[in-house]
This record gives sequence, C-alpha cells and structure tokens, in this order.
Amino acid sequence: MKSNTPVLFQIGWNACINCGACVAVCPQDAGFISAFDTIAVNTQCDIACMVCEDICPVSTITHTQNNEFYEEGL
Amino acid sequence: MHSIDYDIVIIGCGPAGAITAREAAQNGLKVLLVDKRQELGAPIQCSGALSANALEDCGVDASTEFVQEAVYGFSVYNEIGAETNLDYRELKPEKYGTGLGQKPLGYVVDRRRFDRYLVTLAERAGAEVWLKTEGLGYKPLDDGTCEVYLRKFNKEISIRTRVLVGADGLQSQVGKWAGLQTHIKMTELASCLQFVVDKVDTNGLLEIITGHEWAPGGYAWVFPKGHGYAEIGLGVIRTMTKENAQWHLDHFIKNSFLKERLQHARILEIQGGGVPLAAPLRTQYATNLILVGDAARHVNPITGGGLHTALTGGMIAGNFLAGLIHADQPATAENLKGYQENWLDKLGNKMWQLYHTKKEIFETKDIEQRNRMLYDTMADYFNPLSSYKKV
Repeated sequence: MKSNTPVLFQIGWNACINCGACVAVCPQDAGFISAFDTIAVNTQCDIACMVCEDICPVSTITHTQNNEFYEEGL
Repeated sequence: MHSIDYDIVIIGCGPAGAITAREAAQNGLKVLLVDKRQELGAPIQCSGALSANALEDCGVDASTEFVQEAVYGFSVYNEIGAETNLDYRELKPEKYGTGLGQKPLGYVVDRRRFDRYLVTLAERAGAEVWLKTEGLGYKPLDDGTCEVYLRKFNKEISIRTRVLVGADGLQSQVGKWAGLQTHIKMTELASCLQFVVDKVDTNGLLEIITGHEWAPGGYAWVFPKGHGYAEIGLGVIRTMTKENAQWHLDHFIKNSFLKERLQHARILEIQGGGVPLAAPLRTQYATNLILVGDAARHVNPITGGGLHTALTGGMIAGNFLAGLIHADQPATAENLKGYQENWLDKLGNKMWQLYHTKKEIFETKDIEQRNRMLYDTMADYFNPLSSYKKV
C-alpha cells in the first residue's frame, strides 16, 4: 500500500484504450467502475492501493488525495 | 413458484458467453444472452491467435468471415535473437500446409467479426440476444430461481431465471455480485499493448520473443494479421519493471534484434488489455451463478491465450447447465459445483499444471536463468513432440 488517505482517480481519456486492466486488478467491490470500462472516477477510493495506476499500459490514471473526506470521516 | 422468463441468462457476448449460449440453446434451453455494447468484439483486447483445434473442438468452421490469416507454426526467440523454428509445414508436412489435403495449424482472427459470428451461431441455435443491455445485479429467490436486473436502452428490466452466467470478461462484475474473489493480483496480470501495423513482413508463423530485456514477466510477439499487416505487441508484469507496457513496446521496436525488420512499421490500430497469467479461480460458482471465460480466468497462464479456453469452457458450461436443468435439479451452489468439476477434469487440471510451471519460471531470481527457462519452456510448449497437453 502506497497510501492510506482516500483518493479520487482521474483518467486521461485521450490516452485511455479502454482495456479494462485497471478494473481487473481493483480490489473494490462490484460497481467501482466508470461507464467506459475503467475504475470509478467520481467516487472516492479509500483502499488507495494504486495498483490500477501501475497496471495501466499507457499510464493514464492519476489521483488527487481526498483529505477533506478523510478528515470528516466520510 | 413463478414462471421463469429464461432458463439461463448470460452476461457478456464474447466467445465464452456465445458458445455457452449456443450449446445451451442447442440442447433445448431457453437462453438470453446480453451485452452492454452496441457492437461486439471491440474494443479489441486480444491478438486473435487461436489453434485450428480450438475451432474444431467446438464445431465452428474457420470462416473467411473472421479469419484474417492462417498460421502454420511458431518461431520462438531468446533475448538475443537465437531462434527455435517450429514451422509445422516442415515438421509435419503430411498434415499442415497450403496444399491439397493439408490444413493450417491455426488462425489469427478479427475479434470484431469472430465475436459477431459466434453470436450469430448462438442466435441460430435459438438463443435470444440483446445488445445495449448491461447487468446491474442479481438476487437468489426462495424458490430456487433468481432475479437478474438489467438495463436495456436506459430501461430497467427484471428477469426471472434459473442460472446467471457471468461471461463478462477480465473486468467481471458478475462474480463480485456473488462475493467471489475475482480481482487479479498485480503479479499475475500482464499489462499488454499491441499495434496493428503495415510494412512489417511475416511468413505464416506466430513469432514469440522472450527475454526480460524486452518483456519482463511476459513475452513480445509479432503475428501475421492478413493482407500484409502484422501485429506487434507485448505483455509485462508491472511488479517486475519500472516502465509501462507502452515504454517497453517502444523499446522493443526500436532496440531489439528485430529492429531492422520493424523500423518501417506504420501503426494502424492500438489495442491493449490485461491478460491474467494467473491460477484459475478456485470457486467459479455460487447460488444460481457460474462464471466462464476471462471472468473465471480461463486463460492459459503460459501463453496468455484465452480463446481456446473460452470456447472449451463455454462448451462445458452450456452442456452442464442443459443437463442440470433437464434433470430438474435446482441451481444450488452445491449442484453448480459440478460445472467446475467438469471443467477441472477436462481443462482446469492441465491449466493448474501450466500455472505451476509459469510460477516456477517467474519466481526465479536470476535473470539469465529465468530467461533460459522461459525460452526453453516456450520452445518446448509449441513443439509438436511436446509433452505439454495444449490448452
């Protein structure tokens, strides 16, 4: 685990090839997906293991730390 | 008990789903096959290589509708370009070749056409197919059936069925609905990228390039793609390299011993995907539910090939479900375990052996030794005299 702070993922859609590898390694429960066969981009991830970023063949997944959510305990 | 709408509902119109549907429908079941997309086979996440046996095993003709190029063997390279040539036109000319009475060893197919062709077979066998229909969830009911929740062209629909089949691929959600552990470890998911290119010559062989320098944790490939096109790709295990698949593919094209041959390559398509080089799922069933194909990780862990295993798995699943339902047996987890047992017997146990071989290779710390082990294993695997039972 590289981080325990919840994060929000961003996908650089210009480079995304819709391969689904990020979803395949994702340990989240069902439904942590976007409409384009990627991990969810509008829901915070509190596992924050970042394996989706590592597996991406074109490195087009990034994240911002979601400290606000974390501090409010949401 | 409510009357059911379909005996089985299959989510995902790839090869595994389509063959499951065709087998089940042919055996008299009422089948619904759904896919969330508007066109099948795309986005392509696959090289499209499969053996002629794979098609024969499930009674599918090698139609010109989907075959892009016939292939006749393999060429396996080590990291510096030493080659084991396994051209079946020379090794077994009595069987393989382009002449009268000879046949191809395998094919590279267009997944868009192939997937559509298989779905056509399912439809002709009597299965109903809905596109633009995604799965939302399922709920087992007290009477032994289950409800499957779908969204079709924005309309939510509930379907009563006996068995839900998850054929929804690598990024399977259906397995997760049942609480099955379907996510794949980083160390066992190859991150793959390939280019379909013009201006690279091929000669009817699947070329496999091993070596940590080119594809750490996997291998690189150059496949013929028909009409003079080729496919150049590779898969890497990201825990074994700092760079991504795109970097490695660029490095391979520019710097490998094939660089002169690849230097004029013009990219026509870019495709990628994750390929599980993993053990099959230990549990591929739950109450009212089974998984097939990539969703159950039915992928050869040595070659990364998933078409033959998807087709064979679909045959096993379709036949098993027909038997279960005709015998009026309820789709309990206990009963559906029989599907997995059939699968292990016909295919899975061989895949477990391949998995152990693969694990031994990639757990070897010394790079030179690991390179040698992978090269020897690949050269042996594709040899006609190999002791490996091909899957």
